[in-house]
Amino acid sequence: MAPTAVTNSIRRLRFEHGEMTQQDLAEQVGVTRQTINAIEAGKYSPSLEVAFRMAAIFGVRVDEVFHYGGPVG
Amino acid sequence: MPFREKTAWLTLCAILIVTAMFWLHAPDAFNAHNHRWVLLALVLSLGTYVLIEVVGYLVLRLRNPRDAKTPKDERERLIDLKALRFAYYTFVIGTFGGIFFMLHLVHAGPGTIGTVVLVAFVVAQIVKHVARIVYYRRDA
Repeated sequence: MAPTAVTNSIRRLRFEHGEMTQQDLAEQVGVTRQTINAIEAGKYSPSLEVAFRMAAIFGVRVDEVFHYGGPVG
Repeated sequence: MPFREKTAWLTLCAILIVTAMFWLHAPDAFNAHNHRWVLLALVLSLGTYVLIEVVGYLVLRLRNPRDAKTPKDERERLIDLKALRFAYYTFVIGTFGGIFFMLHLVHAGPGTIGTVVLVAFVVAQIVKHVARIVYYRRDA
């Protein structure tokens, strides 16, 4: 899959939440560790549901986890 | 290596082994018009394929119990769909291209056309699992 225009702060948020591992986050979100790795590396854009679930786990808003850097309009 | 990628490798290897076994002996039977042998070989090949898949899957499951229990997530389902699209195009082009070639250029009989469809199906399955492996490796 091609790299997306969506960047994220998952690595930083994991670090700020007790150095949470990708496996821990994956289990809480309900996806595989490889999927968390792909999202973190910007190779895969998750569905809205997964994005909201991640934001809820970190206790922040979605736009604090994901940032859109592509063209608008 | 993710569990799903391992299962893709398993299926790909099973298909290649069974296909090689079948085509190693099939041409002689086809040439001799030994249809009973061809049918028997098809059934035996299918049985061997199922056996390799079941035993291989059980071994993989025993070695990766946690990953095996995890249901497919959205990214894995997307990978399956993308791989299936490649397989679909391969099957359609292989079938219709092969039938056209056999009917108009080689003037083959219906038996040969059946073989063309079978080959197109097997090649489509190979393409599907190769595509799955490539997607898993690119995103891992």
